[in-house]
Amino acid sequence: MLLEVIGLTRRFGGLAALSEVSFEVASGEILGIFGPNGSGKTTLLNVISGIFPPSAGMIRWKGHRIEGRKPHHIAAAGIVKTFQNPQLFLELTIHENVAIASHLRLKRQFGARRFAELLPWRNAARHPEIAARIDHVLALCRLDDVRDQFAASLSYGQEKMLGVAMAMMCEPELLLLDEPASGLGEDEIGNLEAVLRDLRAAATNLCIIDHKVDFLGRIADRAIALQQGIKIAEGTPDAVLRDPRVIEAYLGRQHARA
Amino acid sequence: MTALRWLPWAALALLPLVLHSNFILTIFIFSFILGMTAVSFNLVFGFTGQLSMFHAAAFGIGAYTTYLSVSLWHVSFWIALLPASALTVAISLVVGAICFKFKLKAFYFAVVTLAFSELARLVVLNWNNVTNGTLGLMVLDKPVLWLPGAGSFKIDGTTAWYYFSLVGLMLTVLVCAIVLRSWIGRCFAAIRLNEDLAQTLGIDIFRYKLLSFTIANILAALAGSLYAFYTGYIEPSYLSIAQSLDIIAMVLLGGRTSIVGPIVGAFVLTGLPHVIELSAEMRAMLYGLILILTILLMPNGILGTLVGRRRAA
Repeated sequence: MLLEVIGLTRRFGGLAALSEVSFEVASGEILGIFGPNGSGKTTLLNVISGIFPPSAGMIRWKGHRIEGRKPHHIAAAGIVKTFQNPQLFLELTIHENVAIASHLRLKRQFGARRFAELLPWRNAARHPEIAARIDHVLALCRLDDVRDQFAASLSYGQEKMLGVAMAMMCEPELLLLDEPASGLGEDEIGNLEAVLRDLRAAATNLCIIDHKVDFLGRIADRAIALQQGIKIAEGTPDAVLRDPRVIEAYLGRQHARA
Repeated sequence: MTALRWLPWAALALLPLVLHSNFILTIFIFSFILGMTAVSFNLVFGFTGQLSMFHAAAFGIGAYTTYLSVSLWHVSFWIALLPASALTVAISLVVGAICFKFKLKAFYFAVVTLAFSELARLVVLNWNNVTNGTLGLMVLDKPVLWLPGAGSFKIDGTTAWYYFSLVGLMLTVLVCAIVLRSWIGRCFAAIRLNEDLAQTLGIDIFRYKLLSFTIANILAALAGSLYAFYTGYIEPSYLSIAQSLDIIAMVLLGGRTSIVGPIVGAFVLTGLPHVIELSAEMRAMLYGLILILTILLMPNGILGTLVGRRRAA
């Protein structure tokens, strides 16, 4: 098992944003996480990626416990998260944003030899393989036309794609996507799906939160649903979406009975 | 563009050949050495986004340690730079680790580094039998340099110090340029612009902040050593808040968005008092006025406004 989440609980003061949530992500699958607003989806990803420590419970990544570790340790271990509201380096160009995200790639490739590359006549930062990888990621996310524009000038859809591009540049084994499709137009969602399929083809595992039920239903292999921090369903996306408790959570009690 | 970048350096290198005024060359020497401090401070302030108030302390620690090593152990100036750098690294790591472990940001970081800076000043002020307290120390030695062809000679006199401090400034700029154009500089930019994002991209923000703070302090310490051996005296005011504020003023005036911008600020603030003869009170007022106008009218400083350059990653 790639990722095992066991009895994960996170409290904010008296409020339990997550209560004893357990699930697994197997190698090679896309897991969808459904749930209405405030059901704890984003908190779940934030706890896994180390932004908040859990109040209780365990997270195992490839057999090693990672709960409560710092975000950069978890990113280096291979779990990278995108933000619901895109977080970018607004003063920098698109290309520079993605170049910063090549940090882990450079670290993995060169290790301590990076410091030898500081000598003025050598420069790891301009390494051709990494430059080629940046070009590839930009092309895939359809950002190559705007690569020299400032991140502050992008449309919302492009901002989201830049977030995905930066996460891709980290070359994660598990990519946690927080509502990647929210606020996107139809053609932008099509582009996003193409990118996600490409990621999967490159053996990246995905864990996706989204409100857009049809988008997530199309792309996920398996799904779980959360309500008020509790896991209420698990199975194939179709089965989860037909589960009466999930329908109740989304639409209210009358619809569940109908 | 590359040629244009080397032109000012070439002009500075040739200046003593055409200009024989010791008075003006002396202003240049002070500008070079204070420029070294301002450039190194800008590494942590302008490029990493941390307002450190510790650089005057690093400057003073460098000056005192170099001189004390020379006088106590009878080593050469060059060897004495090693214990000065080592002590600066050790102190920077302790102060930086405390600040960054507790995630002090913006003004909190400034206030805590200021407290450590004052602590260092009080130690220097009160450790009478070593530092001679308020009276300070006379530095009678001059560094001895060996050059192929010229043999070994004492760096003494205005022209020698002009070139010595110019080389010091160029080395400071070179170190900053190498660091900032590498992946380390990109990590600094990431920390300055968005710490949360930097962390999720795998950047150890604690480590890179500490690196930035330490490199900046080492360079400031070396500038302090030069300053002490040039002027021939060291006093506790080297570590004062006023000294820190002067450096900040140089950076804001010259421009914090480029590596060499602070040098322009160092020239203006070093040269101005000699160009305009004013009483100390009037001078402080004039400085304040210049600084306020610069921040209001040219937020990117003199060089930033002239060249229109922005900080690249």
